[in-house]
Amino acid sequence: MTPLKPISRGRRVALGVAFFVAFVAAWSVATLGGFVSKLFLADPLTMLHEGWLLFVKYGFLKDIGVTVWRVVGGFVLASIVAVPLGIAMGAYKPIEAFFEPFVSFARYLPASAFIPLLILWAGIGETQKLLVIFIGSFFQIVLMVAMTVGATRRDLVEAAYTLGADASGVVRRVLLPSSSPAIAETLRLVLGWAWTYVIVAELIGASSGIGHMITDSQALLNTGQIIFGIIVIGVIGLISDFAFKWANQRLYPWAIN
Amino acid sequence: MSKLAIENVARTFPGVRGGAATVALQPVSLAVADNDFITILGPSGCGKSTLLRIVAGLDTPTAGRVLLDGIPVKAPGADRGMVFQSYTLFPWLTVGENIAFGLREKRMPEARQKDIVARYVARVGLEGFEHHYPKMLSGGMQQRTAIARALANDPKILLLDEPFGALDNQTRGLMQELLLGIWEAETKTVLFVTHDIEEAIFMANRVVVMSARPGRLKAEVAVSLPHPRHYTLKTTPDFSALKARLTEEIRVEALKAVAVA
Repeated sequence: MTPLKPISRGRRVALGVAFFVAFVAAWSVATLGGFVSKLFLADPLTMLHEGWLLFVKYGFLKDIGVTVWRVVGGFVLASIVAVPLGIAMGAYKPIEAFFEPFVSFARYLPASAFIPLLILWAGIGETQKLLVIFIGSFFQIVLMVAMTVGATRRDLVEAAYTLGADASGVVRRVLLPSSSPAIAETLRLVLGWAWTYVIVAELIGASSGIGHMITDSQALLNTGQIIFGIIVIGVIGLISDFAFKWANQRLYPWAIN
Repeated sequence: MSKLAIENVARTFPGVRGGAATVALQPVSLAVADNDFITILGPSGCGKSTLLRIVAGLDTPTAGRVLLDGIPVKAPGADRGMVFQSYTLFPWLTVGENIAFGLREKRMPEARQKDIVARYVARVGLEGFEHHYPKMLSGGMQQRTAIARALANDPKILLLDEPFGALDNQTRGLMQELLLGIWEAETKTVLFVTHDIEEAIFMANRVVVMSARPGRLKAEVAVSLPHPRHYTLKTTPDFSALKARLTEEIRVEALKAVAVA
């Protein structure tokens, strides 16, 4: 191996798949070989069987749908408010000075710790779930977008001024387009985090969703279902990640090296 | 009346954290006539870029003022086109869209924008590259686009801050001829900053030599070599005589700059 030397696409895929295979193999040996009690960890075959049952007997598709709706709903609401605010903060320093200290502080408030409060305020309905995602995503997006916009190349801004652009022209025609790819990347990252918040929100006071199914399975000691639920979350995350990456490459061909 | 008047312009940068202030520019005065091509020649760090940025309105002088057609310069504007040393094409716009940037800002009708873009694309020899993104272009092509972008705005004066500084020698020579050809055809007022002596002579009607920091105008040398100029001019005795003279002027300043550093 040589440092930083690229490898072929075929080898890349093969190596990536190889780890999954090794992982499942180790898991199978540990469980099917009888090294770990079935009580604590289901084997891969049981897990798949339980997963199948979840779909055909327990209406797991509906749970998945509810969870996806919550993540997307909370995340979209947060983005609609956070992205414009972040842009305003990045572009105009007084606005940044006004909001930045509070947002930096609020960013460290753990969204999951708000759940008891939110239940008090909003009950255990959908509003509460959306609010958890909103709080978890909002401050992160604001800060990262503000940083991206604030880091716009000064020479491009100056070039725009010498071409006759005014302040609003610089924001619309330089800051926005130059920051767009990084903003999209920020949203991709934060959507990933939103997935962890939704599950936490569903562990407490929920009657549907993947997180709720996982708590139910815990009560029944059904580790197969729990693992299946976790894997489903991972797969959905991977799909949304790919979708984001694909869309970014389509939208911003100029930004790809 | 001169096109551009620089009157006792000085610039001092405040000290950082209580440190001593840096005098970048001692009072400088310069009158630029209409259709003049002036090169400002000086060692690095002499404040020549600062002077150009003040004319562009990107920096404010601590004293003195700049007048363009008798009107004081307060902020950057479309009447002073600028080409930077760094590549400043907007990476999200194609070559054609980059050239049209200022025209769109003026809300010019699309059809007229297209005509002007086509004209300047041809002027800088980039036919067929209108729809390319900057990252697909070589450094020389990017700077040609930057020149076209500045010229398309039809500025009263064109400001160039070491525009060919990052290019290799051969490309640089070709770019000099290209820019000079445009100037000969379009007659623009040009202020061109460089630290390259040959470049300063080859391009200019008048070379202004700046001293080492703190910068001030040290000498002015008229270049009466005939137009149109070809690269072969660089090997003529007249050119060499000018070069020898300016080399001497600059060497003294460069030595001072090194001693300070």
